[in-house]
Amino acid sequence: MTIWDWLSTALLLIGAFFFFAGTLGLLRFPDVYNRLHALTKADNVGLGLTVLGLAIQSGSWVIALKLLLIWLLVLVTSATAAHLIANAALYDHVQRWRRS
Amino acid sequence: MKLGRTRLFASDRTVRSFVRQGLWRAIALALLWWILLEGDRKGWWYGLPVIAAATATSLWLAPEAGQFWHPVGLVRFISFFLWQSLRGGIDVALRAIDPRLPLHPQLIEYRLRVPVGPAQIVLMNTISLLPGTLSVALHPMLLQVHVLDGRMDVQRSLQQVEAVVAELFEIAIEQ
Repeated sequence: MTIWDWLSTALLLIGAFFFFAGTLGLLRFPDVYNRLHALTKADNVGLGLTVLGLAIQSGSWVIALKLLLIWLLVLVTSATAAHLIANAALYDHVQRWRRS
Repeated sequence: MKLGRTRLFASDRTVRSFVRQGLWRAIALALLWWILLEGDRKGWWYGLPVIAAATATSLWLAPEAGQFWHPVGLVRFISFFLWQSLRGGIDVALRAIDPRLPLHPQLIEYRLRVPVGPAQIVLMNTISLLPGTLSVALHPMLLQVHVLDGRMDVQRSLQQVEAVVAELFEIAIEQ
């Protein structure tokens, strides 16, 4: 294995950890608002690192650009989706959890 | 006669800016097509009509000229965004795996300084990807933000994000 393979493997593993943490937050966090934080932020970092690791594996500039494009599209959609869900929850008066 | 000529001139300029807009969008879409096909040359036979149709649709749906982002502002925005979103991911990941579940959520209000329009939309979506903040509701000059930890100085970090976005759109905001 070359240094690039090691780097790529490390990025993919760290990316997987962020997906794991995001899912854990989705399950553990107490209400819809907090859960959205976990989903958007952790998964975006997870996908970013995964894309970076795969771009190294691909060894091609145009495929690396395509992967980058996928990441950007997911960033935009997940930020928009998180806002729409939080917005709908607020207008539906979904109770916010408070630390007592 | 004189009136007719002035009118013709005005529409001539509109046509020119419309064509320029179309040209830029076609170039952007051609680049997108090239990336999607991973540089395969055979795809251009059906790619060109698709690009033409997409350009026409884009001009039909959004005929007004778009604004180019300021290059220095764009570089600053990208570096700020990458670093802060990495911090945001680490922050929420640590909270999720911490057995004590350290959350102190709050819904706060933030007075916007950038005007209604694309700058507010970009700001709103950027805030949702940064550490501990989630845009919940956008009012004309006010943003409701859900924060994971109300003890952090959120107002200050939101002002920082807003300054970076304002620079991207070349908007002057009072400090």
